[in-house]
Amino acid sequence: MRHPSDIARRAAAASVGLVLAAGAAACGPKDNDAKGSAGDSAPHKGGTLTVLNSEPQTDFDPARLYTSGGGNVPSLVFRTLTTRNRENGAAGAKVVPDLATDTGRPSENATVWTYTLKKGLKYEDGTAITSADIKYGIERSFAPELSGGAPYLRDWLVGAADYQGPYKDKKGLSAIETPDSRTIVFHLNKPEGEFPYLATQTQFTPVPKAKDTGTKYAQHPVSSGPYKVVSNDNDGEHLVLVRNTYWSAATDAERKAYPDKVDVRSGLDSSVINQRLSASQGADATAVTTDTNLGPAELAKVTGDKELAARVGTGHFGYTNYIAFNPKVKPFDNAKVRQAISYAVDRSSVINAAGGSALAEAATTFLPNQKSFGYTPYDLFPAGRTGNAAKAKELLAEAGYKNGLTVTLTHSNSKGFETSPEIATALQDALKKAGITVKLQGLEDNDYRDKIHSVKTEPGFFLAHWGADWPSGGPFLAPIFDGRQIVKDGANFNNGLLDDKSVNAEIDAINKLTDLDAAAKRWGALDEKIGARALTVPLFHPVYKRLVGKDIRNVVISDWTGVLDISQVAVK
Amino acid sequence: MSEALVAVEVPGASASGTSGARQFRRRLRAQRAALVAAAVVALLALIAVAAPLLTAIEGQDPTTYHPSLVDSARGGVPIGSFGGASAEHWLGVEPQTGRDLFARLVYGARVSLGVALGATAVQILLGVVVGITAALGNRWVDQLLSRISDIIVAMPLMIMALALLAVVPGSFPRPVLVALIIGFVAWGTIAKITRAATLTLKQLDYVAAARLSGWSTLRIARRELLPGLAAPVITYAALMVPVNIGIEASLSFLGVGVKPPTPSWGQMLSSADVWYQAAPQYLLLPAGALFVTVLALTVLGDGVRTALDPRTASRLRVGTGHKGEAKA
Amino acid sequence: MTGFTGFALRRAVGAIVTLLAISVIVYVVFYATPGDVAQITCGPRCSPAQVHQVAQQLKLDDPLYVRYWHFLQGVVAGQDYSTGTSVERCSAPCLGLSYRSDRQVMQIILGKLPVSLSLVLGAMVLWLLLGVGTGVLSAWRRGRLTERALTGVTLAGVATPSFVIGLVLMIVVCGQLELLPFPEYVPLSADPEQWMWNLLLPWLTLALGEAAYFARLTRASMLETLAEDHIRTFRAYGVGERSIVGRHALRGALAPIIALNANDVGAMVGGAVLTETLFGLPGIGQELVHAVNVVDLPVVVGMVLVIGFFVVLANAVADVLYAVADRRVVLT
Repeated sequence: MRHPSDIARRAAAASVGLVLAAGAAACGPKDNDAKGSAGDSAPHKGGTLTVLNSEPQTDFDPARLYTSGGGNVPSLVFRTLTTRNRENGAAGAKVVPDLATDTGRPSENATVWTYTLKKGLKYEDGTAITSADIKYGIERSFAPELSGGAPYLRDWLVGAADYQGPYKDKKGLSAIETPDSRTIVFHLNKPEGEFPYLATQTQFTPVPKAKDTGTKYAQHPVSSGPYKVVSNDNDGEHLVLVRNTYWSAATDAERKAYPDKVDVRSGLDSSVINQRLSASQGADATAVTTDTNLGPAELAKVTGDKELAARVGTGHFGYTNYIAFNPKVKPFDNAKVRQAISYAVDRSSVINAAGGSALAEAATTFLPNQKSFGYTPYDLFPAGRTGNAAKAKELLAEAGYKNGLTVTLTHSNSKGFETSPEIATALQDALKKAGITVKLQGLEDNDYRDKIHSVKTEPGFFLAHWGADWPSGGPFLAPIFDGRQIVKDGANFNNGLLDDKSVNAEIDAINKLTDLDAAAKRWGALDEKIGARALTVPLFHPVYKRLVGKDIRNVVISDWTGVLDISQVAVK
Repeated sequence: MSEALVAVEVPGASASGTSGARQFRRRLRAQRAALVAAAVVALLALIAVAAPLLTAIEGQDPTTYHPSLVDSARGGVPIGSFGGASAEHWLGVEPQTGRDLFARLVYGARVSLGVALGATAVQILLGVVVGITAALGNRWVDQLLSRISDIIVAMPLMIMALALLAVVPGSFPRPVLVALIIGFVAWGTIAKITRAATLTLKQLDYVAAARLSGWSTLRIARRELLPGLAAPVITYAALMVPVNIGIEASLSFLGVGVKPPTPSWGQMLSSADVWYQAAPQYLLLPAGALFVTVLALTVLGDGVRTALDPRTASRLRVGTGHKGEAKA
Repeated sequence: MTGFTGFALRRAVGAIVTLLAISVIVYVVFYATPGDVAQITCGPRCSPAQVHQVAQQLKLDDPLYVRYWHFLQGVVAGQDYSTGTSVERCSAPCLGLSYRSDRQVMQIILGKLPVSLSLVLGAMVLWLLLGVGTGVLSAWRRGRLTERALTGVTLAGVATPSFVIGLVLMIVVCGQLELLPFPEYVPLSADPEQWMWNLLLPWLTLALGEAAYFARLTRASMLETLAEDHIRTFRAYGVGERSIVGRHALRGALAPIIALNANDVGAMVGGAVLTETLFGLPGIGQELVHAVNVVDLPVVVGMVLVIGFFVVLANAVADVLYAVADRRVVLT
């Protein structure tokens, strides 16, 4: 799951928008489709872009960032082997070359991946970027001092499971070869057709060994992208970026880099961010946010105002909010009980609790409703808009609960979007109609995470969510349903503790495919097959609605990130 | 303050400067305000107690969702004017959920007033005992207690709440637990005020005399100090109530508050702030309720104080009465 | 002055004991609190093996008392630490390194402290002006329109949560009337004027929430004093009302005002979380909340110690002040 490296939670009352630590797609070369929502005239170079965020851009070190597709602000400074296609909508969910000349050349069984770097790539100090630097960048992401990234490299690279990074183990990773300064070869321990997606993450950023300052590198990472860091105050609280003069648009088809300067401010309250963007006074006229949605109350105001409504960008990020069952806990061991709850769910009131139909779309599939995930529509336990209480009662009676049932729903107490008391109470109210009495168990957020991710303490019935590490079915389904990914002594994400040979075999078979469209279709079919087990009740997919300042141009929102791509934005 | 407390034993209090009739009217007026305030507080308490009855009359309850009464496409803003107010829903409905606001407000009064008043009682008890002990005890006791209250003041609410969360079993009745937690984390200020006031009182001749004549500390505290402390403590305590309501709201986010879907004013306020433009009544209702509560408690506090030391109140007017225009 | 030296010495010892106690409490609380530090630091998807590596790196496997001992050693003697590529020195008093960012806690605090102090001290001036002013007026000039209005405002201030006051103020003053820019912290050293304009609304928000306490306290104390015999005597001698109120009545009210103020200032250094968050002021309170959420123990301990330091300091200053205000009080 793509978890923001920072836990977005405020004490008391501050309402927290859904925070994306990463998420940005820069549009690429083809911005001639003037579809950008605010692009009323051609974008020009120059000016200062202000970013108003609630969460600080912490850990500005490519080894430590956990991003989908390289992140939004990070992607301005860190180039990677491959990257997101910076286009609107579904086209933006494709993977395209960045530092490399192509998205990777697989061996026959997709266990060896070879990349060639483009010519003329330079760092901010004018020195050349080499394949050894990319290898070094990946190696240092294994150092316990620089933890935080996604687990895939450790799981996939040959002999990497116990590697402790270059500071403790000078030998390096033998799974990565650099036969010459422009070639890099990865040896994987199993076929992984989706390796090109992984290569978009910031761990694939080149880091010059001579300039590595360990845990202090975040203060001033060496830029390979169009902007370099001028100042990074208090661990990403205030980040100022200016043009990297050694970056050449000729080698970078994706990033537009219109503004001369990018000023990233954080620690702001989400309602204040939206107030400032809507007022668009002074520097706020050329401001955007990369982590703050319009809240329901703001949406009510914005929809009544044409000028404001025109400045709202809408996006979809692959994300599903769902109810998880632990079939080891009674009465959820009984499939009929799980099905009854699936029928009884009132998605309309859940969606209202999540901000209304503009901010959430009903989900009946576990996979997000996007083509790149292999979305295959199904609704195996049709609850309609408001729940099918009669069918639920019938199933409960069959399961032996004629007189109703009392269950406990575990949720987090953090206010916000997905696992909050608001959603839990909406479900509680809806299940009443089907004769199911729901007791709520609200936990302090860390406690909640500890409990739901430990096989020993996992509750029977709880709110959960899952987001895409990249827009494909693989990282969406495998961690949740692959029996070999059940972690007994650590953080486990296979909530249903499903360990089914046919499911595991199908996951392996799809991973062998390097034709990503063919793979997507099979992920979709697998999703429906798993859905029949009623181990989860998909509730909704979030929709992102974000305001931009009045002078912002060239807004591009891909389905990969769902939010405006900062590398495409122009302020003139 | 303080020195005034000496006045307790001083004769001739009635020899004030203003005319008796005028003074009488003033006192009456003061008492009348206090009586009105007492009536308001009693009414609030009655509303809290009778919440189930009141909502039954309205025909609603505080937890049922009414998705059809909110506009889902516009963030769940209540449909209709005045926040969806109607014959069925007297004060409109809550945005996003459509839950009845009147029902949530009156049920919220139960939690908020109960918890806040309970917590205030705990705070006064702890604060006064600690404050007096610190001021009357020897230097070591004073130092120790003062440091402990420093620690309590310095320790952020979140950390205290986490500590208590780890210790208290889940089965403990929530509202009582919440009142105890708030009482326990926020008595430092009352202790400080009590200590400061007692230190001043202690220097006064009659307290010193009482000590010399061998009265026990407890007796001194009860007979000589408590009446003098009543003014600052009661004055402050009335204002603790809204703070305690706020703390209750904060605690619910840490998992120690009252459990949803039980409403409380604090929770209503904290989810309502962003709605103040789109659905103002959602914010104004709990805010108004809280303001009335605070106002009533403040006036009532003054009245109680006056009752405890009637001469003060009457004599107070002396200064304000005749020379009020001296500023010219 | 020996009296004062003795007082200062005793207070210093008391402060050290208090701070030690605070640090022990935080350590113990965090030990008992849910949230696996290594897992949170490493990331939710880290494998058990990797979590173990991180735990070793952060020395989380040591017993609690050993970890606390290392902390104390750092405070007294400083410590060396590795960035992976080099060894750096964290000089005494070293409060350790953040688990999350590996930055020195002392540096994090020094970055946040000017913000918190700017916020709290400025707000203090406002709440004293507003609170004591209202208190004096309501004791002295009861029933006048100004007095009633001010009393109403302060009561509304205390009855309304700061996040509501702040948000409404900001939307009206900055968004609709455009009288002020949306606040953003500008260091005093960089631009004193901008510093003030940007902090005006946060100050007002905090002050409105506090003023009522001071108003009530001032009023009550002054009423008591004004009722005293010696005041009557002064009046009989024809001492002006202004002088009576200013010199005598207000003076009698000073002790409790100072005590309350000391407490509030101390606690507010770390307690103005909502105001800091709302106005985007990167102060101690915000950082503390964040650190608690990610169970970043060294940062939490450091922040709580700083808050404790200011609470102790404010109370010591208060004791001195009311000894000055009321010479009968002996410093202990």
